[in-house]
Formats: sequence, C-alpha cells, structure tokens
Amino acid sequence: MQLVANIIIAASTILLVGLGFALIYRVVRFFHFAHGVVFTSGPYAAFLLTTRLGLPLAISIPIAVVISAALGATMELAVYRPLRRKGSSPLVLLMASLGIYVLLQNTISLAFGDDTKSIRPNTISEGIRVFGAVITPVQLLTVAISIGLLAAMIVFFRQSIMGKALRAVANDPVLANISGIDSDRVIFWTFVIGSALAGIAGIMVAMDVDMTPNMGMNALMMAVVAVIVGGVGSMPGLILGAVLLSAAQQLSSWFLGSQWQEPMAFAVLLVFLLFRPQGFLGKRVKNASI
Amino acid sequence: MLKSLRHIFNRCTNNVLTIERLKSGYGKKQVLFDVSLDVKEREIVAIIGPNGCGKSTLLKTICGVIPAWKGDIDFNGHRINNATPAQNVCRGITFAPQGSRVFDELSVAENLEIGGFHLSEKQRRSRTDEILQLFPVLERRLQQEAGRLSGGEQQMLALARVLIPSPKLLMLDEPSLGLAPGLVEEIFAKIAEINSQTGVSILIVEQRVRAVLALSHRVCSLKLGKVALFGNAAELGEDSEKLKQLFL
Repeated sequence: MQLVANIIIAASTILLVGLGFALIYRVVRFFHFAHGVVFTSGPYAAFLLTTRLGLPLAISIPIAVVISAALGATMELAVYRPLRRKGSSPLVLLMASLGIYVLLQNTISLAFGDDTKSIRPNTISEGIRVFGAVITPVQLLTVAISIGLLAAMIVFFRQSIMGKALRAVANDPVLANISGIDSDRVIFWTFVIGSALAGIAGIMVAMDVDMTPNMGMNALMMAVVAVIVGGVGSMPGLILGAVLLSAAQQLSSWFLGSQWQEPMAFAVLLVFLLFRPQGFLGKRVKNASI
Repeated sequence: MLKSLRHIFNRCTNNVLTIERLKSGYGKKQVLFDVSLDVKEREIVAIIGPNGCGKSTLLKTICGVIPAWKGDIDFNGHRINNATPAQNVCRGITFAPQGSRVFDELSVAENLEIGGFHLSEKQRRSRTDEILQLFPVLERRLQQEAGRLSGGEQQMLALARVLIPSPKLLMLDEPSLGLAPGLVEEIFAKIAEINSQTGVSILIVEQRVRAVLALSHRVCSLKLGKVALFGNAAELGEDSEKLKQLFL
C-alpha cells in the first residue's frame, strides 16, 4: 500500500508540472524549458515572503503563486513574443528558453545560496494512516490539489470561451488567426495559467522535501517525459504518463534503490521514443498550412 | 489629402471593397502586380485564373494574413492595408480558407463559437441560432467532433462559422475543393442562398469556372498576378473562346 501511495503522490506533482508544460507546448509549439525555473520560483518566493517579511504561509503561498504566474507571463512578453514577431524558428525559441532557465536558476543561486531552504512548518507532524500507508498531511494536500486543479482545467477547456479559443489555437493556429482570435492574448493567458500551475507544484514539493535552486530541472524533466509518454496534446494521456512514470520510478527505488529513479524515468522515455513516439494516446503531429 | 478624399468617395458609392493597384507576395517573391477590383453591396464576385496566378494570395492579403506591399485596400471607407485578421473580422470581413478548414478536434458547436469569438456570449448564442436555420444539417450534429463530419458537412460548417460574425464581405477560397460533384452543386446553391438571404457580398475563388460564373454577378480573371479581365460574369460564361484564352 505504501508503494501505491507513493506512486500517486509522485504522479500528482508530475501531473501539475506536466499540465502547465503541455498546455504551453500545445499553443506555442516549442519546449518551454524555463518552465522549470517558474516551478522553482514558487517556493523561493514563498520562502522570501515568510522569512523576510514575516508573512504567514497561508498568505505568502497565494502571493508566491501569483509571482510565478507573473514570471511566466513576463518571459512570454519580454522574450518569446518579440522573437515570434521576428519570425524565429521553434529551435531559436527553445534556445532562448534554455537561456532564461540558466540565467534565472543562477540568479536564484546567487540570491539565496545553493543550500537547502525550507518552508516546512517546524513541527514534524506524524503521518496519517490511509489504507495501511503512511502519508503526511502535505502529501495528502498535494494529491487533493492536483486532482482539484485537473478538474478545474477540464472545466475551463470545455466550458469557457477562452479555454475553447486556446484549444482552437492548439488545433489550427493559422485558422484560429483567420477566425479573428487574437493569438497573442491567448498565448499570454496560457503562460499565466501554466506558470501558476508550475508555481503551485513547486510549493507543494518544497513543503514536502524542501527546496534547492536546481529543483526545477528535475521536475521539468519528469514532466517532459510524462508528456511525451502520454502523448503530446492528450489530457488523459498525460495522466496515464504521469502514473506510469511515477510507477516506474517508485518501483525501481523500492526494489533497486533510490539512485535508480532518474535512470528509470529516462529508460521509459527511450522505450517510448523508439517504439511509440506518439505516446499512449497522442496523434501523429500534422503540419498545417493554407 | 487626395487619399482621404478617395476614401470618402468610396463611402459614397455602394462599394463594400475597393482595391487599387495592390502589390503583394511572399517574402521577396512578388505575386500580385497592380491588382484593382471592387465588390459592391450584395454582389458575388468570382476570381478565376490558372494555377499560381495569385487568387489565394489576393484573398489572404485582403484579410490580413500576409501584408500588402503597396496600393490600397478600402473597406467601407476605411483603409485596411495594415489591419490584422482579428481587426478585419470585427469590421466585417471573414475568410474561409481552402480545403473545408474546420477545427477538427473541436465540436461543431465549439467551431461556431470560435467563429464568434469577439462577440458577447448573448450575441454569439443568438447568431448561432440564426445561422443554424440556414444549415439544418449541422443542427443535428452540434456535439459531434468536427473531424468526424463528412467532407460536405465540413464545408457547410466552414461556411456557417464565417457567417457567425454577421460579415459584410465573405471571402471563400475554393469551397468546392475535394468535394464530389453532387456536393459541389449543393454548396454552390447554399452560397447563392446565403447571398440572397443575408445580403452579404461574396468574393469567391474557384477552379470550377462554369459553375462559379453561373453563380456570380461579376468576374475577375487573374493571369500571372495581373488582372486580365474584370467584367460581367454571365457574358464571359457564354464566350467560350475568351474563356479558353484566359486559361492559356
């Protein structure tokens, strides 16, 4: 039971990061690697607000999420949009994204130091027993939040005009443009939403296992693997991918030792890239033109 | 000064669209050379010509997908040379590109909603109800994924989508492309019905020359990016010799 619980907990953070990453990828069509540092920015912002300004966690966390969302949106406005205007290729955008990642991760290192920082409440709370597995309250909260946000995203996509416009841009950007959808506006909101999800995920992870400036890269890599394994552009696929990936990780650390977690994740990725590149439920990418 | 006078003049005539000496193309390659034409209220104007003569480029330039290099595009007395597609949709120009393009991953109802993206929720709903009366086929399939519709139904959906914003000018790029002959007639009949019922002006690019000439009031024939002929559609339809010449 403990194993199952661990798989679900790991899957839910992968899911949150992957959801934001996949959302952004579907609309802008390049790998937004700086998503990793948006993830890191959440817990560090919360850390700053609680330790320097003395705010309680309950207040600093929502503010930190807003800061993460603003950070992602700023990347879009300051870097990606000007590059798109110049007609830059996805490869250029990807390199820019890596550049932002390295720059901001090092900025965080310089500002806060490379050592582990914590926003955990000081008292070590005893785990709760659920079906024979021991789970901390934070872990339980993480699972609840990611399920809640997933449901909220599904409603957003199905019901709101902005969600539909976002899917339209992802489906056929040229036709969406001709239909009068202001794609810049849609892309902006995609970054806001996706980055908020990353910030929340970062905070949840930090509440569980503390933070370091490079925590984002690991989280991002897992999200990318889950997105590819699940099939780019498929929400149920992403859930499957996250569960499969965390199952592979937890099983390998359970039976082989925790140092096997990451190699196993990339082994899963390689198997999928070689034998089923479209992922579980993804469709083959088609090129659109008029 | 002269230019603004000309726009005032255009507003006084019943021209919906007036194009003068338009130059445009892709990258450095010029495709359109001094194209001039106009579309009046309630009028259907056909654009015909051999492959690669710039028919689609002309429509894309008007709707703002590719920039106009030089010349004048006047819509209802406004110069719209540099307008974005979104601005043009708000002004009343909609464009259905080649190949029955619909959002295949979205439902039929969602496709129509996207057509009215800039409208308010209420307007969108009432416009959708109005348009669905013209397309009873779609009404039964509102919740279906658009990619699962047949080719003819997808073209109907593409037409319905571009009608949602109550356009004054509708631009259609080869609505018959890829459709079976019987369906082509159905689509052309629908286009005629849309024109007579809503009074929208239509600029239509077509390869099926005889069918489109029968449908249109006037015709503009392009050849290598220049206007080879601009005149009465019915007259050209009867003049087989001239038609042959235009496509040589």
